[in-house]
Amino acid sequence: MDYLKYVDSNSFLHKLDPRTKFAFFVVMAVLTSVIKSFVALAFLLVFFMVIWKSCHIGTHILTLLSKLKILLIFIFLLWLVLGLFQLPKVEGGPVFYKTTFSWVGQQHIFCFDWYDFYKGAVYSLRIFLMISSFYTVLLTTNFSEMILGLRKWHIPYSVAFAIGLVFQIIPITIKELQAIMDAQSSRGLEIDKCNWATKVKNYVTFSFPLLFRVLSKGQSISLAMHYYKLDFSVKRTAYKIIRASRLDVYFVAANIVAIAITIVLRVMFYIPV
Amino acid sequence: MDFSVRNLSYKYSKEGKPVLDDVSFSIEQGKVTAIVGPSGCGKSTLLEILSGVIPTLISNGELSGTFDKPDDSLISVVSQTPENQLFGYGVEDAIAFGLENMGIPQAEIAQRMDYVLDLLSLQYLRSRSVANLSGGQRQAVCIASVLAMQPDILIMDEPVSSLDPNGKRLVQMVLKQISLDGNTVILVDNNLVWSAGIVDHIIGMLDGKVVFDGSKEEFFQDFELQHRLGVIIPQEVEIYRGLLPHFPDLKMFYTVEDGLTQLAEMVDTKLFTQEKPEPDEDEENIISVHNLEKVFNDNFHALIDVNANIPGGKIVAILGQNGSGKTTFVKHLNGLYKPTSGDVRYKGQSLLEKSVAQISRNIILVFQHPEHMLFEETVEAELTFCARQQGIPFTKEKITEVLEKNNMLEDRETFPLNLSMGKKHILTILSVLFSSADVIILDEPTLGMDGFLMEELENLIQHLKAQGKTVIVISHEIPMVFRNVDHAIILNKGKKIFQGSRQELAHRDDIFDSIHISMPPVVVMSKALGFDRICYNVADFVEQAKTLKRKEAE
Repeated sequence: MDYLKYVDSNSFLHKLDPRTKFAFFVVMAVLTSVIKSFVALAFLLVFFMVIWKSCHIGTHILTLLSKLKILLIFIFLLWLVLGLFQLPKVEGGPVFYKTTFSWVGQQHIFCFDWYDFYKGAVYSLRIFLMISSFYTVLLTTNFSEMILGLRKWHIPYSVAFAIGLVFQIIPITIKELQAIMDAQSSRGLEIDKCNWATKVKNYVTFSFPLLFRVLSKGQSISLAMHYYKLDFSVKRTAYKIIRASRLDVYFVAANIVAIAITIVLRVMFYIPV
Repeated sequence: MDFSVRNLSYKYSKEGKPVLDDVSFSIEQGKVTAIVGPSGCGKSTLLEILSGVIPTLISNGELSGTFDKPDDSLISVVSQTPENQLFGYGVEDAIAFGLENMGIPQAEIAQRMDYVLDLLSLQYLRSRSVANLSGGQRQAVCIASVLAMQPDILIMDEPVSSLDPNGKRLVQMVLKQISLDGNTVILVDNNLVWSAGIVDHIIGMLDGKVVFDGSKEEFFQDFELQHRLGVIIPQEVEIYRGLLPHFPDLKMFYTVEDGLTQLAEMVDTKLFTQEKPEPDEDEENIISVHNLEKVFNDNFHALIDVNANIPGGKIVAILGQNGSGKTTFVKHLNGLYKPTSGDVRYKGQSLLEKSVAQISRNIILVFQHPEHMLFEETVEAELTFCARQQGIPFTKEKITEVLEKNNMLEDRETFPLNLSMGKKHILTILSVLFSSADVIILDEPTLGMDGFLMEELENLIQHLKAQGKTVIVISHEIPMVFRNVDHAIILNKGKKIFQGSRQELAHRDDIFDSIHISMPPVVVMSKALGFDRICYNVADFVEQAKTLKRKEAE
């Protein structure tokens, strides 16, 4: 689960103001939920790939892709199967098999065609782009920068701190779960060579020590907050100050161009899905 | 500025028994005060009261007495697990956190940060991320973050309990610097091995009461009290304690050099001439490791062409600094890690195709943190967990016998996670007694143990060996290792740099120098004084010294 962690590097994306990266995620999330053109989405994918390559996080994205493959295949197959019972909304293109059948007194169409693949591919690609835009921000923004960025947006410190803390705690919790699984299997609990029902039962077993470890960590963290005099009612100062730089301007400009091209491609190559 | 605790008593609930009972003492300004005592003596509760956790965060107990301190005085704590204490991604973020909470202006934060990083010689860590620091570095940054807040009292709660020798050395150096700088420090730790040279004042606690309040020198002279409190003391002091009845002119010594200077005038020294022992070729190996390589996903080369043999029925130590590959190595022995290349064999059979649970019938790994292992509702159920998983029969009588022998009979129905850290460790090891495994791997078993539990642990390890089991121990407690092991493997940066018997190991000062670990004082001193054989424990050292005692010293 290490792939969920921030990647320590000095790339241009790492140097950006966190607010620019948050805005990038919000804009891309909106864009990918609106755009349903495969060509436009494919262009966005290429744009993302250029960003990943230039920030040296390509291998992490590939790891994400391998973790998401089941979900993406599921989405692809789901839309492909749903499409089998519809005719294409556009004329032309190959049709592999077409028939009608009767079920519960009604006539239905069964049509296996190129359009089923198209819809499956569009929906999988949209989900992947949406998740990977968030993941790009996660990989290049550490939780201290997240807190600073959120505070600049006038989010109350208690909320910003809680969000930062979540990102600090997630990797610790994942590590704890792995350690518990290792410890229990070392004592004879079979978790490798067993059926899925036993696996589920084992996960319930693991949740007990995990709960205690997380509670104990929570207690330690609250003690530490006390030791460091954290009081949300008192005005804090800040040691680090974030400022947008020329890099942010270049990045925003590149995004505006990419968004414009995406919209043009969407208009030119639109196929309703 | 004076700080004094007067007639402090505390109960966690009105009906409960007092955890602290009429505790009174003074904290000397600019000095290092150590609070010592066995598990459950009330040290942690006292720490919570001194730091204000009681009654600020825990307010449902019954507190009487006072902690007299000037108004607005700041008391802060460094805990034993810095990963739970440091807030912030980078070292600078973590140090600035407390200062930002106090509303200190940015320019002053920068000034204080420079000051603490210079004071503790930590400027080289400034731009690093906390996650990438070693245990010792993390603890040092934690101390810096608290020190930057300029507390009137800095409390350190077992700050080196989870560190390797390098980490301990770093924190030791940091503590020394803090004390030289005139800071008031309270050290809550029952292990005085690393801090003996720095501590000025000791407060001994037993059953919630103060039973000693005096100087370090007075404390180390009171052998009966040290034993009663289960304090882990430097082996040099143990040697002094053993020798004193036979060498009445001997003065207390805390270092090997001082001890040797004094003893050189009292015993007939000679040049150490014992020949290096030959490796034992007849040993029967229960586990053999062939050309083991491990490369992790991030391309970190954790093990490099390791070939090693574990002799059956012996106690084997795996030594090395943190990051040397010790835990990665043992996780290959029980199947938790699969090698990138190479093979691991148990009694000649490869383990590569077996699951961890299948391997656990022969090889069990007891983890460093017992909370990862404990999840039954009672100590009794926990004890028999392995046996039930493996279908091994057991009897109530056997359970009673094991619990009684290890002073845990009264804990039989206790919820395991409510036990002290040391007892939790003992419980996880005891559960192995009911399994079918004949190789037991213990990863840092001394974590959180006081002197009593450490003694129990050593007895338990010897008991396992007497039962014919092979015990593999990863530990940074080098004197304990030398007292007990038959054989050792040393790893450094993923490579095996030594394998051999304890006798062979004692001759390899060069190896110990290269991994920056010190040999135990008894080994160093018995070699330096030219004893007929190398000593591995204090009793043997005293016996040897007696035989070489000079006539005029009698």
